[in-house]
Amino acid sequence: MKNKVILFLGLFLSASLAVMAQDNISPARKQAIDSLALEKVKDLSKYVSIIGSKETQFSEANRVMDRAEELFAPGAEMGVSSINTQEVAYYKVRRYFERLMALNYDRVNITWYDIQYISDLERQPDGRYVGVITVYQRFEGTSIETGMNYKDTTKKDITIYVEKKQTQIAGRTIEFWDVMLGDVRVTETSA
Amino acid sequence: MRKIFLIIAFFTAIISNVPGQGIGSPGTIKDDGRLSASTKQLNQFFRRFNGEESIDGTVRFYPEDSLYRNVPLRKGFLDILFDNQTSSVSPDLKNQFIQTVLSEAYPHYLNFHREGWYAEVDTYFTFKGKREQVTFIMKIQAEGLGYEWVIDRVIFEPFKTLFNKQVGDQKDFLHPLSHELGFMNLRRAFQDSNSPESFTANSYEPDYLAIFLYEMKQNNLRFETVSGLKFHFFQIQGWYFEVNQFNRPGFNTGWLISNLVRLGPGDKETILKHIYDQD
Repeated sequence: MKNKVILFLGLFLSASLAVMAQDNISPARKQAIDSLALEKVKDLSKYVSIIGSKETQFSEANRVMDRAEELFAPGAEMGVSSINTQEVAYYKVRRYFERLMALNYDRVNITWYDIQYISDLERQPDGRYVGVITVYQRFEGTSIETGMNYKDTTKKDITIYVEKKQTQIAGRTIEFWDVMLGDVRVTETSA
Repeated sequence: MRKIFLIIAFFTAIISNVPGQGIGSPGTIKDDGRLSASTKQLNQFFRRFNGEESIDGTVRFYPEDSLYRNVPLRKGFLDILFDNQTSSVSPDLKNQFIQTVLSEAYPHYLNFHREGWYAEVDTYFTFKGKREQVTFIMKIQAEGLGYEWVIDRVIFEPFKTLFNKQVGDQKDFLHPLSHELGFMNLRRAFQDSNSPESFTANSYEPDYLAIFLYEMKQNNLRFETVSGLKFHFFQIQGWYFEVNQFNRPGFNTGWLISNLVRLGPGDKETILKHIYDQD
């Protein structure tokens, strides 16, 4: 069983991340990294939908928040602004999720647009690469008591950090590209 | 090991059963073309300007691709990279600019890493208990293994009124034989005068950024928030343009050219002085 897991991990790393020795990112590798980054963003979008849903139990939402937090680099923040003001309000990722969970609606529906945009990867002074993925989220909250129905569409610009890491599998050193999410800029749009 | 698989399976089941779902799920909203048309990132502005991506932005073109910097593709992009709703850029000036950029003999492109473009970032700080607007002029520079944004200039009103150097016969001065007195009259500059800047050389320019950093280190300045952003471009020879973000309904949205100037002799320096708040 252990050998199978090792073989699976090895195949996964080499297939999805195109393990290479050099530092330059070729178009093919960029595409592989984009796919991996997009998977993380998709995971995040699922977690956001779960955390925001009123059907989600408190304990379950907390567990999902833990998972969602694991997608982010330490210290990542959400910077939120509305149509009325461009001023950014800052929240730690966990706090943002907690606020989302605590929203005072009886019914919440979070959906996502089928469009996303992935930037080029730029290298930072420390050698890590950074990029931004833009996605759009539709939020609908309904309060039965007041009959209020709130809707908005937000643009989410999500930082991704891409770093080459090493792991030991069956005594061999294998290099792979790892993706972490960073700061997220949340802008309310007129869409 | 079986337990781990069960946990993974359970968690996957939870995720797949929640309404709303994530990106790519069956509940995804189809874009009616507005989000696709929007220039969503400045990165996309660069790529569209240069003709380095597909119309819908899903494919990045590289030098080996046949459509890389394709002229008709660029022409289409350049047309939509202008604020066509509120800007005062005339259609004639816009066409002249597009012709320059698409010139067969000498086409012009934007380069992310090259000098000649700046970010203007509006922020709010608390300075000695009062909320104040601070503007930073920022630029990209090479550093270490990559690149970084750095502060090139800070514009902060409270500092500008700090220095009010008079000139000519109106100003305080140290007379030209002060050296014979061992500069004992420095007392006039540092004790009696409330404008010690009067005793500096003609070439003296206050370094507001140094003062700003000093005040930060003294905990007299506290960052609050970012409140605005725009970009200034001088990379196209003979032209200046400004790029702003337009968050509004419709198809002409995102990062767009809001101001365009054909540069005559000395115009670039004048505009730069204006941006750097030196005029």
